[in-house]
Amino acid sequence: MSTAVASFIAKRTTGGSFLIEDLRPEDVFTPEDLNAEQQQIAQTTSQFADEQILPAIAEIEAKNFDVTRKLMKQAGDLGFMSVDVPEEYGGLELDKITSALITDKISVSGSFSVTYSAHVGIGMLPLVWYGTPQQKEKYLSKLASGEWIASYALSEASAGSDAMNIRTRATLSADGAHYLLNGEKMWISNAGMASLFTVFAKIDGEKFTAFLIEAGTPGLTVGKEEHKLGIRGSSTCPLILENCQVPVENVLGEIGKGHQIAFNILNVGRYKLGAAAIGGARNSLRDGVRYAKERVAFGKPITAFGLVQEKIAESAAGIYAAEAVVYRVVGAIDAALSALDKSAPDYTQQVQKSIEEFAVECSILKFWASEMLERVVDHTLQLHGGYGYVEEFPAERAYRDARINKIFEGTNEINRMITTGWMIKRALQGRLALLPAIKKVMDEVMAGPGERNTADGPLAEERAILASAKKLGLFCAGAASQKFGMELGEQQEVMGMLADMLAEILVFESVVLRTEKMQGRNGLAVKMAKYYAVRSFQVITAAAESLLGAVAEGDMLRTQLTIFRRLTKHEPTNKVALGRAIAAAIVDAGRYTTQGSAT
Amino acid sequence: MRILTLVRQVMDAQESVRIANNAVELDGRKLVMDTMDEYGVEEALRLRESGLQVDVIAVGIGPARVEDVLRTALAMGADRAIHVETDTALDPIALSAVIAKIAQSETADLILCGGQQSDWDSQGLGAAVAERLGWPQATWTRALKVEANIATGQHDTDDGVESFQVQLPVVITTQQGLNEPRYPTLPNIMKAKRKEIRKDSLDSYAVTPKVKTTGVAAQSRQRLKKIMDGKDASAAAAQLVHSLRNEAQVIQ
Repeated sequence: MSTAVASFIAKRTTGGSFLIEDLRPEDVFTPEDLNAEQQQIAQTTSQFADEQILPAIAEIEAKNFDVTRKLMKQAGDLGFMSVDVPEEYGGLELDKITSALITDKISVSGSFSVTYSAHVGIGMLPLVWYGTPQQKEKYLSKLASGEWIASYALSEASAGSDAMNIRTRATLSADGAHYLLNGEKMWISNAGMASLFTVFAKIDGEKFTAFLIEAGTPGLTVGKEEHKLGIRGSSTCPLILENCQVPVENVLGEIGKGHQIAFNILNVGRYKLGAAAIGGARNSLRDGVRYAKERVAFGKPITAFGLVQEKIAESAAGIYAAEAVVYRVVGAIDAALSALDKSAPDYTQQVQKSIEEFAVECSILKFWASEMLERVVDHTLQLHGGYGYVEEFPAERAYRDARINKIFEGTNEINRMITTGWMIKRALQGRLALLPAIKKVMDEVMAGPGERNTADGPLAEERAILASAKKLGLFCAGAASQKFGMELGEQQEVMGMLADMLAEILVFESVVLRTEKMQGRNGLAVKMAKYYAVRSFQVITAAAESLLGAVAEGDMLRTQLTIFRRLTKHEPTNKVALGRAIAAAIVDAGRYTTQGSAT
Repeated sequence: MRILTLVRQVMDAQESVRIANNAVELDGRKLVMDTMDEYGVEEALRLRESGLQVDVIAVGIGPARVEDVLRTALAMGADRAIHVETDTALDPIALSAVIAKIAQSETADLILCGGQQSDWDSQGLGAAVAERLGWPQATWTRALKVEANIATGQHDTDDGVESFQVQLPVVITTQQGLNEPRYPTLPNIMKAKRKEIRKDSLDSYAVTPKVKTTGVAAQSRQRLKKIMDGKDASAAAAQLVHSLRNEAQVIQ
């Protein structure tokens, strides 16, 4: 079997460089670059989701885990769970774009999507990366086939975002054959249906270590299902360990280095969450549009009304932007991975290092995409009016299901802190030329009005605004560090504002690059790009204004606001006309599309 | 044994139909293998899995994009594919001339095709191919077995079900209920990449369609937006009956 299906290799970029480096369209991967096999895989996954998962949703939501298990087994048989598994263990070892694509297309049910993602991501990857040959031999094929379901147990009642703080302890038995684990885990996804758990504990209360524990091991008890706001068809239980006997050969990875497993896995979880949010949003918009086309008020289908069209356009433009940024980042990760030597003994370490390089992008995808999804499901619910508030329509469920995405895989607050913090750290280490870039922008803006960037093509105006946005981002980062210096990390609100600016700059640029790569062949895509650009720049300017208000006062503030106004000066786009045209194309197609003939 | 399984590319049933330039607009619409043909591909694969030595060839005729459904057939498990590439729209009679030639050059023993086109509803293709080849045909098949050059099975009639037996070569048309088509698995999608899709030009078949589609119109649902005043219930009922009988003509 061939190892990669990627026919397009994105330019090798470094994490965080989007703020200071300008890429050309041919440097990034876009959804339009999927090759024939990837498209076929996407189609098979969509078909499976529509024909097998959607009709089973009532059973899934009723926690009929037999139905979920059967679907997981089917997904395993089709090969969906083998994508990240090495060939020598019967896997397909395909690229990360394919893996993200499956996560995207399979995500039509929040509950099933969580079961699936927890299994293939945090469930299986620690074993893939850190397992001994014996451990992989024993467990991987069972997990890849969907015969067994995996679960990952890190969080505890008093250790969530601060995972290093776990209290579960492990002690070596007198005969040296077992570790005895004691403690209680909380919020464990898949716990109620899993056959294999990756559990984190501190050996002798100190050495943070991962253990593979089979269901049925003496001393391991799965607690009661939590009653959750959403994703009710997924399993979430506490895990109680009372002198749980784990054979020493089931220690995963090195003793005392369990934190590497715990943290490296998060980056993958985060970009996959971004991919899952796209699928969830696409499915929700389809529900909303279908309903709106049927619903008649004042003698017309409600899709004839401008405020309804606006919701449809906002949702579609959000999805378009999400596709652009998620596939761009995952494409960049693939480009980095493709340069590695697969036969090197430390290959899996290199893989993690390469992915860690994009930690800032992964965090951005996580918080930004979960909030995009939140807006889409809210619009879909609103399109349904009162019917959106009752359980008969899927809008209500999608609205509840979306909410968890802002919490797990690191809360959106934690991910905002990581985003800005990571950039600062990289800058201080000299690994990202942020400080010279900030200095250059500071000098430039202090020197007075400069020339505005000019560009050609249908997105010329957006190009110019994007250039200003990057300058504004650098300017604000400079202003904030001038004020707070090394204390900036403690200023969470300011860090959050910078994270919002960074996220929108990355998304904005991805949207522009994706659309330019289509070379103006697609009228609808251009409209969605322009539409999203408006929102993006509004978020950026709002964050910048709040930030300046918080870091300066008096004359200093007035000077900075002069620069702010100079950098944010632009003519408003006719968002109303764009929104109507986008909505018309989406309503005509009855679903999200980039291919509609917008007029 | 060599099986030809004919696959057409049609718009997904969930897509909305739009007319542009006097034709159904396919740009940007989701196109899939005609479900009726999918049963044929699946049946060919099942015949192979029943232990027969079978070579399964998927045949598609149409523009470049038809390659997508041929790839699907290959990913499902067909051994190779033949794509007769043309932008000319062919009616079932013209199509049958191309297929008959392929059947002869490939020395096929069995041809499977959908009992009815899911887009234009023609049921003519299977019959026309059988006629050109001088082969028997069994239509609307719901069960099929092949043993020692004899095909046995069942097919639907208007009033019930008939069982049949026929010597190969034969044309069999397929329908819902015959089987449950499989999804292509990821390993098979990757394997299909290396399978052959032979590209033929329509010119080499010297076939031109006799029927040309000169225009299309889509059915559209329109509301009459009539509101009846219900203050006098019996008058309203009479008015409703009158409208249903004379305007909508839904009751006699």
